[in-house]
Amino acid sequence: MHAKFSPEELAFQEEVRGFMRDNFTADLAARIHHPNTFSKASVEWQKLLDGKGWAANGWPVEHGGTGWSATQKYIYTTELAAAGAPDVVPMGIKMVAPVLYSFGSDEQKARFLPKTKSSDIWWCQGYSEPGAGSDLAALQTRAVRDGDDYIIDGTKIWTTFAQYADWIFCLVRTDNTGKPQQGISFLLIDMKTPGITVSPIISVDDEHHLNEVNFENVRVPVANRIGEENQGWTYAKALLTYERTALSGVGYCKRILTNIRGLASQVSASGSRLIDDSDFRARLADVEMEVMALEFLELRVLSDLDSGGAPGMESSLLKLKGTELQQAVQSLQWDVAAGFGGVLPDADNALWESDGNRARREYMFGRACTIFGGSNEVQRNIIAKFALGL
Amino acid sequence: MDFSLTEEQVMLKDSVAKFLADNYAPEQREAVIKNEAGFSAEHWATFSELGWLTIPFSEALGGFGGNVADVSAVMEEFGKVLVVEPYWSSIVLAGQLMARCTNDELKSRSMPQVISGEAQYSFAWLEPQSRFSLSHLSATAIKQGDSYCLNGEKKLVLNAKASHFIIAARTSGDVASESGISLFVVDAANPALKKESVRLMDGQLACNIQFTDLLISQDDMLTAEGEAYPLIAEVVDEALVALCAEAVGAMTYLYKATAEYANTRKQFGVAIGSFQALQHRMVDMFMATEQCRSLLVRAQCAILDNSAERSQDVAVLKAMVGKYGRKVAEEAVQMHGGMGVTNEMPIGHYLKRLMMIDMYFGGSDTHRRRFSDMRYL
Repeated sequence: MHAKFSPEELAFQEEVRGFMRDNFTADLAARIHHPNTFSKASVEWQKLLDGKGWAANGWPVEHGGTGWSATQKYIYTTELAAAGAPDVVPMGIKMVAPVLYSFGSDEQKARFLPKTKSSDIWWCQGYSEPGAGSDLAALQTRAVRDGDDYIIDGTKIWTTFAQYADWIFCLVRTDNTGKPQQGISFLLIDMKTPGITVSPIISVDDEHHLNEVNFENVRVPVANRIGEENQGWTYAKALLTYERTALSGVGYCKRILTNIRGLASQVSASGSRLIDDSDFRARLADVEMEVMALEFLELRVLSDLDSGGAPGMESSLLKLKGTELQQAVQSLQWDVAAGFGGVLPDADNALWESDGNRARREYMFGRACTIFGGSNEVQRNIIAKFALGL
Repeated sequence: MDFSLTEEQVMLKDSVAKFLADNYAPEQREAVIKNEAGFSAEHWATFSELGWLTIPFSEALGGFGGNVADVSAVMEEFGKVLVVEPYWSSIVLAGQLMARCTNDELKSRSMPQVISGEAQYSFAWLEPQSRFSLSHLSATAIKQGDSYCLNGEKKLVLNAKASHFIIAARTSGDVASESGISLFVVDAANPALKKESVRLMDGQLACNIQFTDLLISQDDMLTAEGEAYPLIAEVVDEALVALCAEAVGAMTYLYKATAEYANTRKQFGVAIGSFQALQHRMVDMFMATEQCRSLLVRAQCAILDNSAERSQDVAVLKAMVGKYGRKVAEEAVQMHGGMGVTNEMPIGHYLKRLMMIDMYFGGSDTHRRRFSDMRYL
């Protein structure tokens, strides 16, 4: 039982720190955190990581992964967050790629994995529909076989970054006769295919992350189907566990807590510091202690994966607690940073970079994290069933 | 990084669990608590035979050479059935004070009896005014020739049947100072010692002691005069980790027992475990237990790695175990309905034990403040 780093691990930590220092420059950071420059800067960042061989660090080595141990993954994530650098946009590398290398054909792997890794394909996820949110299996987007193609009709919603996407991975209904889970297939669809319309949905942070994607008579080659027809639910479930494991956000929480401690340690005009206030200390400590626990919960899960386990119910646990804590730190950050806040700046206004504006954006954006990836209520249902046998 | 139990630890856990499965059913435990000592001398002898009392002591002292992870593995099993034998107070807490003290002559004189279980030591530190501060001591020890003269009182000393007390008293310094604290071992039968036994809500038998002009030889002082505080702080930190392992064991029992009960208890024609309102609350019990278990791993690693943050990690563990131990137990009582509030059902006994664990060495708020004071400078 120990958590100490070996000399090799310490050297690796130095290497990651050095890479972040040299590559995640202040200029890149500013562009990646600004909505007008976000997409280009994200691609640039992923290409830098890919150049170092780190972009797809969780993949199997034969597909370009790193073969890192749990400790290395932890060091990498921690240093990334400490540098304020975002992880890669997850839909490609973390969400569709595991399905591709686990269930895809050799042609599909060769066609999609390298470009996904290098960020030459931007993926978006076509799961939710207006009538199928938490009840994902109720999805109705139809795929009707026509020779070597499927004809797709229907609507996907809450599609993050569809406005930038080259491809979408979609769950579609290929059969209506059995249980809802049984007639679903997993398709990869080129976003340039005629009949696809993307409409923006502006969210409560006043920004454009989300979209509705409409499919009208969209022709998709059967060759773009992953695995068997009507078996898509199995593949999708596997993907969801990977998605949720990626959602704990411990590194993010630690970075925001560092920011909060810094802001609260500033001496106010009246000569006092918020961090000396006993009510505030108690609130901050409550959140910080939970994050310290979550950090080791994640390490325990990672270390299990290292010894050959697959992510299962634990990923729901990490998603659930992780997103609750992300919201808790965002809430605290808003309370500390808002000042006379709530002022909505223009995107090119000097106020945009203020602590208050950052706190507002993160708080508002963060409202979604307990909803996406399967709402936290659904996670509780899953845990009740699989961990407690209820 | 490695969080797995060693093969030896797994075997140890299994053998503890097996003994307890045969000997510690709720009605067997109830009988043990009711006897005059508050625990079973027979069980204690078995613990000794099975080698459990030797676990945390070095091989040089005749022990097994184990560490905080080994002790925690045992304590977690103890927590699942609420063992009342004075393992924690005698072996983990007072035993470690003696095993790590700097008075080698005293150590070699005392340790064989501690390790064999013939003697049971208990740490007498808490005073009515100290509010759980380890250094707030008004008991005094004044040098007189080759002896010290002790005056003062101690509250809630665990194990009323202890054969010896290790008393913390002030040889110099002001009442809250960390310097000037000394530790003395004294025979419980010493006539200058007045002892009043008290029954605690978790079934344990503790005592309050008073001592007036109690003379103790300087040979029975554990460290150099006035220099005991670092030893106390180190041993208490480790002992709290083991105590929290017991709490995590108890919490594990509670969420499992509650889920099992919910799957069998029928109301409105269905098992109450089918109600989502209850399911989600049970998930939160499970989640709280897993968070505490994660902090237990974190604190064990901090101690074994000799991390600079070990005291912070222990404070966080104790704060969260205190808070969530009570929460999980309260939820377990609620979801057992009327049965939950009966003394016949074991659930309430876990609540009482977890409340006492929260209180020992300061409750959740105390340790959150301790963490804040180390973390937010």
